[in-house]
Amino acid sequence: MSELILKTEELGKVFRLGGRSIRALSDVGLQIRKGDFISIMGPSGSGKTTLLNMLGCLDKPTKGKVIFDGADVTKVSEKDLYKIRRHKVGFVFQTFNLMPYLSAIENVELPMEGTKKSRDEKKQRARELLKLVGLAEREDHRPHRLSAGEQQRVAVARALANNPSIVLADEPTGNLDAKTKYEVVRLLGKLNTEQRTTIVMVTHDSQIAAHAGRMLFLNDGKLLAKEKQGTHLAKDALKCSNCGRETQPEDTFCPRCGKKL
Amino acid sequence: MGTLTRAIRNVSRRKARTLLVVIALGFSMAIMISIPPGIVANQVSTQGLTENYNDMLTSMQEEINKTATLIECSTSSGQGTPSGPPTGGPQGMPPFGSQQETVFVNVTVVDEIRSIAGVKEIVEFLETSSNETTSETISSPRGEFTVSRPIYTITGVSLNSYFINNYSILPTEITSGRNLQEADSRVVLLSSNLTSYLGLGVGDQIDIYGESFTVVGIFEPTSQGRFETRIVYMNISDAQVVTGNMGNVSRLDVYADNASDVDGIADVIEATYTDLYVTTYRERLASLEGMQQRYTEMLDNAQATIAQTQSTATQVIIIAVAATSLIVLFVMLYTVRERTKEIGTLKAIGFSNWNVMSQFMLEGILISLIAGVVGIAIGSVAAPTLTSLLLPRISMFGTQRSFPGTMDPGTTVSQAVTTTLDPQWMLLAFGIAVFLGSLGSLYPAWRASRTSPMEALKYE
Repeated sequence: MSELILKTEELGKVFRLGGRSIRALSDVGLQIRKGDFISIMGPSGSGKTTLLNMLGCLDKPTKGKVIFDGADVTKVSEKDLYKIRRHKVGFVFQTFNLMPYLSAIENVELPMEGTKKSRDEKKQRARELLKLVGLAEREDHRPHRLSAGEQQRVAVARALANNPSIVLADEPTGNLDAKTKYEVVRLLGKLNTEQRTTIVMVTHDSQIAAHAGRMLFLNDGKLLAKEKQGTHLAKDALKCSNCGRETQPEDTFCPRCGKKL
Repeated sequence: MGTLTRAIRNVSRRKARTLLVVIALGFSMAIMISIPPGIVANQVSTQGLTENYNDMLTSMQEEINKTATLIECSTSSGQGTPSGPPTGGPQGMPPFGSQQETVFVNVTVVDEIRSIAGVKEIVEFLETSSNETTSETISSPRGEFTVSRPIYTITGVSLNSYFINNYSILPTEITSGRNLQEADSRVVLLSSNLTSYLGLGVGDQIDIYGESFTVVGIFEPTSQGRFETRIVYMNISDAQVVTGNMGNVSRLDVYADNASDVDGIADVIEATYTDLYVTTYRERLASLEGMQQRYTEMLDNAQATIAQTQSTATQVIIIAVAATSLIVLFVMLYTVRERTKEIGTLKAIGFSNWNVMSQFMLEGILISLIAGVVGIAIGSVAAPTLTSLLLPRISMFGTQRSFPGTMDPGTTVSQAVTTTLDPQWMLLAFGIAVFLGSLGSLYPAWRASRTSPMEALKYE
């Protein structure tokens, strides 16, 4: 069994809104191991993003613990949480959230700011990651010159910049068209299989969620007992179903047999 | 990709906003660099004016003190003002532009006055205008007008070495040639403004009332009012001959043996010769005191203007400083609000509070730096305009050294200050602008750094 990266214990979150208390999460217990590709599904308002924010140290729970690499991060002060976010977590957002004034490579370099890497090391790492997501040729392009799918792939590369323990993707395909969203989820699958990147993806799209190894269901802030084994389609999707040829995430047709992927 | 590069990109990508902020800040800074030199210029100007007035009053006081025993008797009412030099000068002439006919008294009167008890000496003068006139356009606050005035004034002086040595009967500032001497005849001493007007020099001939005279010297007239008097000094006997006034004089300087005799002698002359205007030391002193009072009031006004200038300048600078900080503050607050989602993203991908704060601080400082450079450029070009627009003007006499006998008290000149920018102050103002820019961006940057990443990411 793989090493345990992240664990939550009786995680709860209550928001106070105009004198009312809204329970967003309730007693969520979750274990994430190295190499997991987990999708969390649930209807709107079920607490998916809240859970992801807790896991990514963007927010603190009102109850319970988040144990990251054996340490309870809920006890870490707000001003020191950035270290965990910088070194252990990679975020992928629904709206990509790239800096419009930076090129693709500069966006990927951004999380490395403040690390001990030299300028050349940062550039080299960013280039490698852009190559990994199939955008080596577009490194100097600013976001407005990239398609939505390409922007999200830059965002994925950015999430991997500091070689994090876990990548948290919040509706990563939510702003993409039908064709592009599969490109992105296949990319995440490829990273998971080839790089053993641990990924937690929140989505309300069951077809996208099915690409993960494990599917968790959240409803009304509670993690449902049922847990489905994902089809891990993402893993297979990297191979052409017709000829078995390995394909790239950006490929729409198989380069060998021409079958639509 | 450093923080500075990102700050430059952010500042440059919102060109219109940056431009507006830079222009606003630039003007604030231009005001900051223009006003203080303006105040200094005002102070220097007023100080110079005060010194000039004080010098003038002191020298007049000294002159009057020297003439405690002098009783001036003239045939025109303009005579006897305490104008220096009090004896022998041309100040007794009627004001130019109002060609009064000179009235003369016969020298028999001189003998009669000499017989009054207590009279020591009488110095005779004959003062009259040239027979030729000239039209001149005069500018004044009340508009321009043309006047007809004599080309010059003839002053005939008793060229007696005792008088020359003991009384101030001749000008002292000889700029070329020599002064008149005892027994000089058919020679003249001209004021420099007359030699310029006529294009004459020492050794040249001048035609006076149809007679030719040799110019032996040129002097600098002490009176430089609005109407500069052009003067010819000559022997009184020559003057009497050429002007056809044989045996006549127009002014007498009567010297008493003692100062205590002055009032008695003056009373006798006034009672006996009603055509003569008599002034004594006491009257001249009283007149001087009146003038001193007027000058003091003017200087007080100038000082009040300076105080007002400083007060206005302080207010303007405070407003400029506050405006600079507030402009940066509001623009940066707006920027922070506009870029909330970006701040959330930066914090989510691992930026520390300090990273975020330094990013926004640097942007504020960068804008201030650009504004500083623009401010220096605007200040260098527009400092005089800004100073004249923002600072009150100092009202003062048109010339720095004017003798009241020829000065129109109504003639004052509003003098705009001459602003010379001080590089040290410009550098300091530049530093202040950058400091204020930093100060203005401090709170927005701090607010940005404290933004909750989760809340910021939700911001639309």
